[in-house]
Amino acid sequence: MDTSPFNIIIAVLLLPLVGSFLQVALGGPVIRSLGVVKGRKAMGWLAVLPILAAFIVGVYVTGQLAQTTSRDFSVTYFDWIKVLAIRIPFELKIDTLSMTMVLVITGVGSLIHLYATGYMAEETDYPRFFSYLNLFIACMLILVLGGNLPMTFIGWEGVGLCSYLLIGFWYKDVANSKAANKAFIVNRVGDWGLTLGMFLLAVSLAINYKSLPVKSDRFLSYDVILPNVLQLFTGPHAWMATVAAILLFVGACGKSAQFPLYLWLPDAMAGPTPVSALIHAATMVTAGVYLLNRVHILFLMSPFASGVVCVIGIFTATFAAIIAFAQTDIKKVLAYSTVSQLGYMFVGCGSGAYWTGMFHVVTHAFFKALLFLGAGAVIYAMSHEQDMRRYGNLRKYIPITFGTMFVAWLAIAGIWPLSGSFSKESIISAALGDQLAAFGGSPVSQICGYVALLVALMTAWYMTRLMAMTFWGPERWRELVPEAHGHDHARHDHDVPHSHAGHGEDIHGFFFTDEEMAVRQASEPHEEHHGLTADHQPKEVPPSMWVPLVILAILSAGAGYYLNQNGLFEHWLYPNGLEIKAAGEPAEIVPGTGLTLLTVSTVAAVLGIFFGFLVTLKGGRYASRIGWLKDLAFNQFYYDKTMMDASVKGGGEFGRALWQGFDVGVIDRIVNGVASIAGGFGSLLRKTQTGFVRGYALLMLAGGLGVLCWLGYALYQQGGGR
Amino acid sequence: MITGAPLILYLALGLFMFTTGVVGVIIRRNPIVVFMCIELMLNSVNLTFLAFARYGLWYQGTTDHGDISIMNGPMMIIFVMAVAAAEVAVGLGIIMTIFRLRQDIDVDDMNLLKG
Amino acid sequence: MGILSIITFLPLLGALVLACVPKDAVKVIRVLALLFGLAAFGVSLTIVPAFNSHTFHFQFEEHVDWIPQLGISYHLGIDGLSLWLVPLTTLLTVLSIAFSFYVQHRVKEYMLFMLALETAMLGVFVSLDMIVFYTFFEFSLVPMALLIWIWGGERRNYAAIKFFIYTFAGSIFMLVGMIALMFLNQRVSHNPSFDIVDIQHNVANGRLWAGAMTAQPFIFWSFMIAFLVKTPAFPFHTWLPDAHVEAPTAGSVILAGILLKMGTYGIFRFCLPLFPETITRQAPIIAWLGIIGILYGAIVAAVQPDWKKLVAYSSVAHMGFVLIGIVSLSEAGLMGASMQQLNHGISTGALFLMIGLIYERRHTRLFKDYGGLKAQIPIYTTLFLIVMLSSVGLPGTNGFIGEFLAMLGFFESGFNHLYGLNVVMAGIAGTGVILAAAYLLYMFQQVFYGPNKNPDNERLKDLKPWEIGIVLVFVVFIFWGGLYPNTFLAPMEASVEATRLMAIDGPKARPSWANADDEINMSEDAAVRGRFERHHLPVDGAEPIHPVGEGTMAALAASPVSLLSSAQPNPSRGVTTP
Repeated sequence: MDTSPFNIIIAVLLLPLVGSFLQVALGGPVIRSLGVVKGRKAMGWLAVLPILAAFIVGVYVTGQLAQTTSRDFSVTYFDWIKVLAIRIPFELKIDTLSMTMVLVITGVGSLIHLYATGYMAEETDYPRFFSYLNLFIACMLILVLGGNLPMTFIGWEGVGLCSYLLIGFWYKDVANSKAANKAFIVNRVGDWGLTLGMFLLAVSLAINYKSLPVKSDRFLSYDVILPNVLQLFTGPHAWMATVAAILLFVGACGKSAQFPLYLWLPDAMAGPTPVSALIHAATMVTAGVYLLNRVHILFLMSPFASGVVCVIGIFTATFAAIIAFAQTDIKKVLAYSTVSQLGYMFVGCGSGAYWTGMFHVVTHAFFKALLFLGAGAVIYAMSHEQDMRRYGNLRKYIPITFGTMFVAWLAIAGIWPLSGSFSKESIISAALGDQLAAFGGSPVSQICGYVALLVALMTAWYMTRLMAMTFWGPERWRELVPEAHGHDHARHDHDVPHSHAGHGEDIHGFFFTDEEMAVRQASEPHEEHHGLTADHQPKEVPPSMWVPLVILAILSAGAGYYLNQNGLFEHWLYPNGLEIKAAGEPAEIVPGTGLTLLTVSTVAAVLGIFFGFLVTLKGGRYASRIGWLKDLAFNQFYYDKTMMDASVKGGGEFGRALWQGFDVGVIDRIVNGVASIAGGFGSLLRKTQTGFVRGYALLMLAGGLGVLCWLGYALYQQGGGR
Repeated sequence: MITGAPLILYLALGLFMFTTGVVGVIIRRNPIVVFMCIELMLNSVNLTFLAFARYGLWYQGTTDHGDISIMNGPMMIIFVMAVAAAEVAVGLGIIMTIFRLRQDIDVDDMNLLKG
Repeated sequence: MGILSIITFLPLLGALVLACVPKDAVKVIRVLALLFGLAAFGVSLTIVPAFNSHTFHFQFEEHVDWIPQLGISYHLGIDGLSLWLVPLTTLLTVLSIAFSFYVQHRVKEYMLFMLALETAMLGVFVSLDMIVFYTFFEFSLVPMALLIWIWGGERRNYAAIKFFIYTFAGSIFMLVGMIALMFLNQRVSHNPSFDIVDIQHNVANGRLWAGAMTAQPFIFWSFMIAFLVKTPAFPFHTWLPDAHVEAPTAGSVILAGILLKMGTYGIFRFCLPLFPETITRQAPIIAWLGIIGILYGAIVAAVQPDWKKLVAYSSVAHMGFVLIGIVSLSEAGLMGASMQQLNHGISTGALFLMIGLIYERRHTRLFKDYGGLKAQIPIYTTLFLIVMLSSVGLPGTNGFIGEFLAMLGFFESGFNHLYGLNVVMAGIAGTGVILAAAYLLYMFQQVFYGPNKNPDNERLKDLKPWEIGIVLVFVVFIFWGGLYPNTFLAPMEASVEATRLMAIDGPKARPSWANADDEINMSEDAAVRGRFERHHLPVDGAEPIHPVGEGTMAALAASPVSLLSSAQPNPSRGVTTP
């Protein structure tokens, strides 16, 4: 199979990597030589161009792919891990799924990079931000292009690392670092499941090597696993498909923030807004959905696992939607909305219609990225104020932002013909018509489908609440005192006393001298705090920020319609259909009434918008009645607090108890005890050394007598010495 | 036929001297007296050797008299006397040094080897 | 004079030369020590290209009779397992000597001890005679204990004595075991011999243990105790935190990087080939010790207030992975364990070196004295981040390869219910990766993130170029091992597989170092790869020349063990002789 036109795919990976490296290498020198403003502009373009170039290469490769018949190629570069037991090459898989993700990642990614050049313009550590962002794109691309599970895992952990670095970007505030730690560690819990799933697949293939239809020692490559499990995990081994699927789903839960592993995503909003848009809305969190699409055969073969996916997906969707109602930070509302929408995608995957999950990934990438970037624009306009209770009537002041967010809002609410409606509808119809996901024979996806309709209503409601609080209503920010504190602003301490305390002689030159310290302080750029004064108007964002917003708005509006025509997207992703027929025909929504799904979902969306406006703008007096629910929802039903207390405080206590109580108290006591036994024995024996000479003489006498007695006894035994 | 006192009397005398010496070594606190008792023990051993040599008990009961010398006993006595002399010489030297150091030669006070 | 003797004794020669240099000529001493270290490193690299990866027999062998009446001979040799340990030793020693240019007090003795220690460590990895091994094993304790004792921290007396006596006591048992093995061998071959090639030959054909099978567990455990103390495995690990905290930086680097490998190397070299029946039966106990080590080390590391103690406990956790890889007795597991040894040497050695760089400046190891260092010393932070990621096992760094393969092998054995292992143990061991992330990220945050509140940290300058150079050497190996580990994996394969077959196969099917006809099939065909073959011509009804031993995962498929049978397979299966 001639793969030579696809060899260029490596450029897609290398371009962001090189870009990341260049940011680190050239950032300092360029800014020093060109000055702060121009230097940052240059580095900004240097960050956007590799992603744009990668997008162009991606488009080219996709075009090439579309012209082939098999639409499934693999490019192998070298053997990464090769032992006698297993071979894991560095291979990239070019098929419709991976190229779709590549286009989304690089396309939306380049728009977000462009946006970030404007958003982060006042940031001191400008090149560092873009090097992390480029590195993230590179890792995400490895994730989607990887041709075997370990390659996907490289990308998986790589994006976890970049997420960690970017969430904790403003590291001077420890809370950001703790949020970053939380993200990484909770992701690792998912990775545990993913690794075990990998092992299960590799080992079960290897042990049945003789009976495999595709014999290869690359036990973890997709093109070896998928055809083989189709034949292998049948009959008495069907449980292995379930177990493997659930283990891989645990990994997906970690990355895609499903219950119970979602708790890192709200805290991840501590990072800069472009990070939230790119990583925690458009790309990284969709890795779980991508994985499910990759190994969909396992889920097709296991109704139980599909049922689990459906149930967890819909539970998360509902749970997160309820919590979103009570949030006051604009980014947190969007974060929970992301969790909820991800739940939707999993419902689609669990129902056997995996392409619907991907469809929603694509449309969600557009409108959620737009919402986040728009929120970032609002935050920028409001001088880093994130609390929605201090917004109001902003549509007068930031019209472009308002216009684009308007489109995104309608899209996420599911108003036809915007993109969100098509993807949501396809998911709900798949859920309602599906027979795959079943626990012990009773199908669950119908219930999930109905609940999904309810969640659609809730989604429209809370998003309307967000829009209403921000863009309509009274201008609550006019009542502010001018000293507004920024949430996502790095603080710079000027007043720490300088220590002249003696370090002794600094013979190795480890420390700065006084003169050098003075030079350093003079050259450090100062960051301004500017609060929002009463007569200060919110200002619209610069073009580098609103151009991406407009592009994304266009995509949010039209992409759904375009991709849905004649099932274009479905046939693109799965040209040969599914290996096992899963999705059935959607049943009538309400039997006997003849209502189509489109009607019902549109009604739900409109109702949600209506209630949203009603309650937000007028319904203050009902608030106290459900105050208890609001508190619960605001605190995530205390799930986060319980988990964090148990793991951080509880873990700390347990660790200290283990250390002091067991390691020091028991083991070291035994070790030191053995040593003191030797010492104790010695001091016991010491008592015989009295220094009393006459006593020694007596002992000598006794010993001598003893020897004589023994001699006599021996002689007597021998018969008298003859 | 050996005439004179029976062997057992010599052995008894030797035992008595030995016991006296032992008791003296253990009980007395003056090192010079301890040395005298040591001499007493050594002389008792000498006496015993001599008694056995005199009474020919070395080769009583063996058929071949050729390879057992009658002079084994007296030979041992010479050795013992040499050792005794050397020991006294060294010991008296030690006692003199200690006396010069401490003005007191009570054996109980010499406990520097106490652990 | 063979190349291995040159490599081993060159540092000792350097120590002797240094002894003649007056102790005030500090610069001369440092340069001389560095030169000898570099020379040893250079010479040790020459064996790498000359190594034949397709055979498991010992190469570069040197054999001279030393005390023939007792069977002790001077026998050196290298195989795949020890191939990479030798350059690792010389590399870490060179980097430690370079770092030790900061030592001001009694420099001559310091460098002398470092070079003597290097000889001892190299001798352990190349010796094939048990008494020679033991000599070098114990000899390494003396310079290390002296390094801790003279140049260490406040509690150095306690730490040095504990280190010396604890590890010495463990290896006394090993000496008794060695002598017992010699006698058992003498029973069979009528000549005393401490040479493991001879002893393993008699183990391979089953004659050594015939009639002495009840003694095997005792002798096995006598060896194992020594190596478990050295590894260090829970519960024999408590000497390590004290020794690491009180040791000078270069001492810690060498202690973590190399001395700990002597324990696991010993398990590879002695416990696997010489005690086949026992290791397959005692596997669960050792597996549990490994698992507990992984979890316990991680949990206790997370609450430490002292930076070096945290990394010391992390060593316990990492070596836990090596243990579970070894005891899985699967090819992937053993390769992973062997690779993890090397990786741990690099990454933990780098961690200690970097902690030492800051310690030289600030003279404190407590986290409460740090915080917010990223703004102050960004280059150091970036390098430390890379090293920390290697320790956490991020794919793309070398730490991932070892952990991945070890866990894969352990899972494989558990899945097939071999040797008393099961997948629950594999699952529990897997949670170690979560805990590793927890304590390492917490450590990173405590030191580098947050506001820079401590006025003593305000004036810290970033790393000097030569310090960056030393750390970059580690970083190069971190990425090399992570992205192209085949350089390191390929030479080890034949020896690892042979050692594995020596442990699990029945008599007559075990490979033997002494038998030059024995080989491991290294072909590309996954169905037969890793099998053991004996290539001699059949002589009137003697053993066949066909593959007689089981091999890797795929080759296992030929055996009756499959998905369908969950019965406990006979640990000495694989006898497919007709």
